[in-house]
Amino acid sequence: MRLSNLQLYLLLVGGGAAMLGLALSLPTLGNAPLVLIFFVLATLPLFRLAKPLSLWLDGLIAIFGAVALIASLPQGASMPLHHWLALFSAWAFAWLFVERLSAAIRAGTLPETGTSLIIPVIFGLALLAMWEVVTRGANVPAVLLPPPSAIGARMAAETGILWADFVQTFIRSVLPGYAIGCLAGLGVAILVDRSPFLKAGIMPIGNFMSALPIIGIAPIMVMWFGFDWQSKAAVVVAMTFFPMLVNTVAGLNAASVMERDLMRTYAASYWQTLFKLRLPAAGPFIFNALKINSTLALIGAIVAEFFGTPVVGMGFRISTGVGRLAIDLVWAEIAVAAVAGSAFYGVIALIERGVTFWHPSVRGGRA
Amino acid sequence: MKKIITGLMAGVLALSAAPAAMAADALTLQLKWVTQAQFAGYLVAEAKGFYDEEDLDITILPGGPNIAPEQVIAGGGADIIVTWMAAGMAARESGVPLVNIAQPFKRSGLMMICPTETGITSEADFPGHTLGVWFFGNEYPFFAWMNKIGLATDGSEGGVTVLQQSFDIQPMIQGQADCISVMTYNEYGQALDAGYGPDNLTIFNYTEMGNDLLEDGLYVMEDTLSDPAKVDAYTRFVRASMKGWAYALENPDEAAEIVVEMDETGAAEFDHQRYMVEEVSKLVDAEDPALDMATYDRTVQALLDQEIITATPEGAYTTAVTDGL
Repeated sequence: MRLSNLQLYLLLVGGGAAMLGLALSLPTLGNAPLVLIFFVLATLPLFRLAKPLSLWLDGLIAIFGAVALIASLPQGASMPLHHWLALFSAWAFAWLFVERLSAAIRAGTLPETGTSLIIPVIFGLALLAMWEVVTRGANVPAVLLPPPSAIGARMAAETGILWADFVQTFIRSVLPGYAIGCLAGLGVAILVDRSPFLKAGIMPIGNFMSALPIIGIAPIMVMWFGFDWQSKAAVVVAMTFFPMLVNTVAGLNAASVMERDLMRTYAASYWQTLFKLRLPAAGPFIFNALKINSTLALIGAIVAEFFGTPVVGMGFRISTGVGRLAIDLVWAEIAVAAVAGSAFYGVIALIERGVTFWHPSVRGGRA
Repeated sequence: MKKIITGLMAGVLALSAAPAAMAADALTLQLKWVTQAQFAGYLVAEAKGFYDEEDLDITILPGGPNIAPEQVIAGGGADIIVTWMAAGMAARESGVPLVNIAQPFKRSGLMMICPTETGITSEADFPGHTLGVWFFGNEYPFFAWMNKIGLATDGSEGGVTVLQQSFDIQPMIQGQADCISVMTYNEYGQALDAGYGPDNLTIFNYTEMGNDLLEDGLYVMEDTLSDPAKVDAYTRFVRASMKGWAYALENPDEAAEIVVEMDETGAAEFDHQRYMVEEVSKLVDAEDPALDMATYDRTVQALLDQEIITATPEGAYTTAVTDGL
């Protein structure tokens, strides 16, 4: 278990910052006992540079530092300087922990399953802890950036509003718009593939549509389809249609000439060739478009709700929440949107692994 | 070489001389909305040099549909903001300690208009209809009014359906809303141009109904008021602004021209701005920017009734500036 240079530096930085913090906290000893304990704990590894402690201890030190700092945050005042050193030190230990963990996984001393999940979790928690300590420690006004704890409290208190907004935006606008846009893109792609005439006509129009800015088409869709979810779904259709079209057209040409000749020798009709060979071969392309569209659709629906809406929906809440300075609610909506978007993407990716099981990228076990 | 050095020296001298001539107090004013005659007083004062006479260097920032002045001032992007009292008080409760220093707008320009074909002739006809409302800090007067007449706004039975309205009269023309919000000095003019008028509209004027909440006032951050130099700068700012208002109301044509000229987006048109100056003049008191306590109390009461704010604000206004005029 020798340390690499980078790990050594991180240990020196983390331990050094803790030592300095310990020295600086001497005048106000006893004000924040938890932070003091952290300083002592984080200074100790410096004495074991030659034979470092287990990497799990580094992780525990980092987590304890975050907990100690958050527990000792002052109310309505800025943090003293040595607390910032503690934050810096805890961050260095968190980095050191992740660094040593990934090195151990690479060396094979730790199993990959399960432990590899710890790295992104620790990274996310470290970001949230930094956010919490910096916003509250530096006394940042809540209307500029609320701490994660306030956002979490608001999420718990406003589940009704968040759910109603989610249903309005995701279930009513995104899903129908996504389904219509993707199916239309797929159908038009098959037509375009059959007819050179259509290809010459439709592809430029599709290109043109994809270049339209959302904020330009959203108000027009509101005029055409009214205020409710229909106009938002229409924006989603306009946004998702083109990526599907282009990707499918490219995918339909993915099957090689040799494979198509084989179908001809079997006397397969156009449709048989399409369903048995060319569409499956286009699978990775089609799923690529579906994945791109899953995020585009949510963005499109939310932005479309900035223009004339009923008084419900994620986009409505985000745009008007800023005006009412309910910034924690805005962040809560953003968090819901991020989770919903990621889950949507994940579901599509899972389906892809099931459907295109034959593809090398999936056979390798990675989608 | 010698030439270059003398040239450089001259340049440096010229540059260093420039700031010396500008020892004026620099203040940034964030408008509530885009550059238009609603803010004619400030724009005229800037164009006519009234601020310079008071030894002020004023930067006027236009607002827009997605700019909350309260957030701009909280982030340090402005010293003074123009905003509606309801939004200012709500911001004060959210931790942005805004204080009203002057209130040039004495009356509200907010109205709700309904085409007569919708069958709405009085408040009693509202249930079951769709009403267009602006959000972004402009929704408070409407909700206070609905609260007063006891109508639900969540789309439930016997209540009204609320619609987030765009900042124009499209929803009424397209029949998406039965009634829409308009400002006397802006969207109502668009409605007149579109062939609507008092004979085919039912007009609910917030001021006439006694439901008006104070609109464009001047707000600063509370902590700056402890600095006498700042208060003095604010006082000079308000004095020059009122001079600007007086000038704009006396010379509406020139004021409209100035507004069109100062609008960097090129969206302002003379005829519309000229109409706006005329309408704004009915709301502004160019002689006296002091806050009218009766209207203030009513505004605060309406906000409390509607639970937009939870406690009576303390120190949300100061007369220090208007007393010093």
